Amino acid sequence: MEAREEAREIDWRLLVGDEWAEWYAMTPAERLEASSKLWQTYLQLGGSLDPEPDSQSPFYSEEERRAFAPHGRSGLRVVRRGGV
Amino acid sequence: MRSLLMGDQGCVLYGAAEFSRDTDVVVLSDDDNLDRLGSAVGELRADVIAVPPFEKRHLEAGHSVHFRCHAAGVEGMRLDVMARIRGLPGFDPLWERRSTIETDDGPIDVLALPDLVTAKKTQLDKDWPMIARLLEADYAACGPQADSVRLAFWLQELRTPSLLIEVARSGAHAAQAESAARPLLTHALAGDANALATALRVEEDREREADRKYWDPLRAELEELRCARRG
Repeated sequence: MEAREEAREIDWRLLVGDEWAEWYAMTPAERLEASSKLWQTYLQLGGSLDPEPDSQSPFYSEEERRAFAPHGRSGLRVVRRGGV
Repeated sequence: MRSLLMGDQGCVLYGAAEFSRDTDVVVLSDDDNLDRLGSAVGELRADVIAVPPFEKRHLEAGHSVHFRCHAAGVEGMRLDVMARIRGLPGFDPLWERRSTIETDDGPIDVLALPDLVTAKKTQLDKDWPMIARLLEADYAACGPQADSVRLAFWLQELRTPSLLIEVARSGAHAAQAESAARPLLTHALAGDANALATALRVEEDREREADRKYWDPLRAELEELRCARRG
């Protein structure tokens, strides 16, 4: 292997923030478990499993998005919005 | 059934995403495997929710077939299936170099990280920060010491300027060699973060345009299929 200069340790919290630094430090199995919990919370909050409408996507079709929304709704909706 | 997890759920396992609302897989598109896929989607009580229909010819043309599941426990979950991905070879080489993640529910076969990075080079805004995170997470997991293969991978794919400068600095010989294929590494070697960021954006724009061109004829086919379905 090629001799390399000493690489510096990266301060991941500084580079990407605490949340992502913690996520990077997990194993794949730990991430899967954590993601599953987020999934349950998302569903309990009434989140939709529809894709986010994304007009950049080659699969995007407004017609299909309306026709196949499973519950006739597109996802989490803001029912009350606080001031900025 | 031979399939490999990809998409945002693949990114969850590799550390680049926290959550995904659907499951994307790439499958071997031979008749036997598609029969098994048909049985699997039957067990999931999944129906096709958009064009194209679930047919071998559409998968082999590069389309994605979109299912929604209705079986108990997976109600509403979406499954997107592809057999060909821009920039990647056919299924067999992808299968040979796959990653397998052990979980409490059994092993999960996932696209290898370099293949997932290639698959994420799309025209979509959302995919590019995810590529950066895939590389950051890999660097974080491996630490600064890496073998020459991984070092070359980082030099070719990292999208975070400060990390790319660090990797080029600590592996200058490799960076010089890799700069033939990725000229922006000269900015990383010079430690010029601004020029590097600009060059990364140009590189991204080039890939996004290539993806748009790849999808142009497929988009046209999808529109024809929608017209035919409307009658």
